Amino acid sequence: EDALLPAPQNISILSTNMKHFLTWSPVIVQGETVRYSVEFQGEYEREYANESWIPICECSLITATVCNITDDISATVAYNLRVRADVGVGRSEWGTLEGFFNRITTSLTPPLMKVIADGYHLLVELEDMGPAFQFCVLYWKKGQESRMQRKVVKEVSSVVHLDAMEAGPDYCVKAQTYVEAINRSSSFSQTQCVRAQGGRSVWL
Amino acid sequence: SVTEIRSGFTAIKANIQARDPIRTLSILSYPHSLHRVKSSDRCCITHHLFNFYVDKVFKHCKTEDSYVNRKISSIANSFLSVKRKLGQCHEQNKCMCGQESAKKFKQILVNYEGLNVTSAAIKSLGELDILLDWMEKSR
Repeated sequence: EDALLPAPQNISILSTNMKHFLTWSPVIVQGETVRYSVEFQGEYEREYANESWIPICECSLITATVCNITDDISATVAYNLRVRADVGVGRSEWGTLEGFFNRITTSLTPPLMKVIADGYHLLVELEDMGPAFQFCVLYWKKGQESRMQRKVVKEVSSVVHLDAMEAGPDYCVKAQTYVEAINRSSSFSQTQCVRAQGGRSVWL
Repeated sequence: SVTEIRSGFTAIKANIQARDPIRTLSILSYPHSLHRVKSSDRCCITHHLFNFYVDKVFKHCKTEDSYVNRKISSIANSFLSVKRKLGQCHEQNKCMCGQESAKKFKQILVNYEGLNVTSAAIKSLGELDILLDWMEKSR
């Protein structure tokens, strides 16, 4: 089968918060539907399994130019990725991602967070970002940053109780994510402050 | 991480164990289960076993099932990542190998080489939870 089609170009990875997507530019063939297939190769395959490639069946003969590779990028090693195009009986050569992809380079964003004053109780609601994520929550009485307290949240339940508050002062909270698998943390979220007032939630 | 290895294995455990017809033999547990390992030998046995799986087992576990093959790849690449860290411990002499661990690991190899390579590899993969349970208990 001669390679009638050009190989897909501009192959790149979009990786945020341990979700990884492979994208590429479409191959244009007038009046035809071009389909794409994606394969990956981990460091194990390169070093111990004759440089074999593994197809991702969810991205076999697809028309989209994006493939969710999150489930297959499941180790902190260097991965190779490639894409080829098909039209009818025509098939392109493989287009390969330039360089390797290691999930350690994923970009980590601060968590979405909602701080609640429930009477005299300081609570925080954290975004569920998946099992790979833990959270580090810092909280303090406004003006007493030196006495900041820290709570590590390993599993996101609906609401996390931080502390009992005194009436009057503001209590401030900020949070960051931590991913053990890659041993990295996000930057901190914006600080949010609340004040306890006899059982009514008050936003500042 | 070991958690990811565990979840990858759990996804294919039934499938892999169903491919192992030899119920009366064990690679990791015969004659003594791993649990009889002194704490001083644990790191070395773990290091040996990760090398064993990466060097000998995974490459002989290819199946006709694409999903299973992808999960085996995930496990193998996670093993490679952990193997590297264990290798660093070994190089820094923090993972000493005594006679006990050498003897135990030799027994595992004898068990492995007592079967044909594909059966031995599939059986070893099917016994991964024995290794993972032992590692988590010894933490």
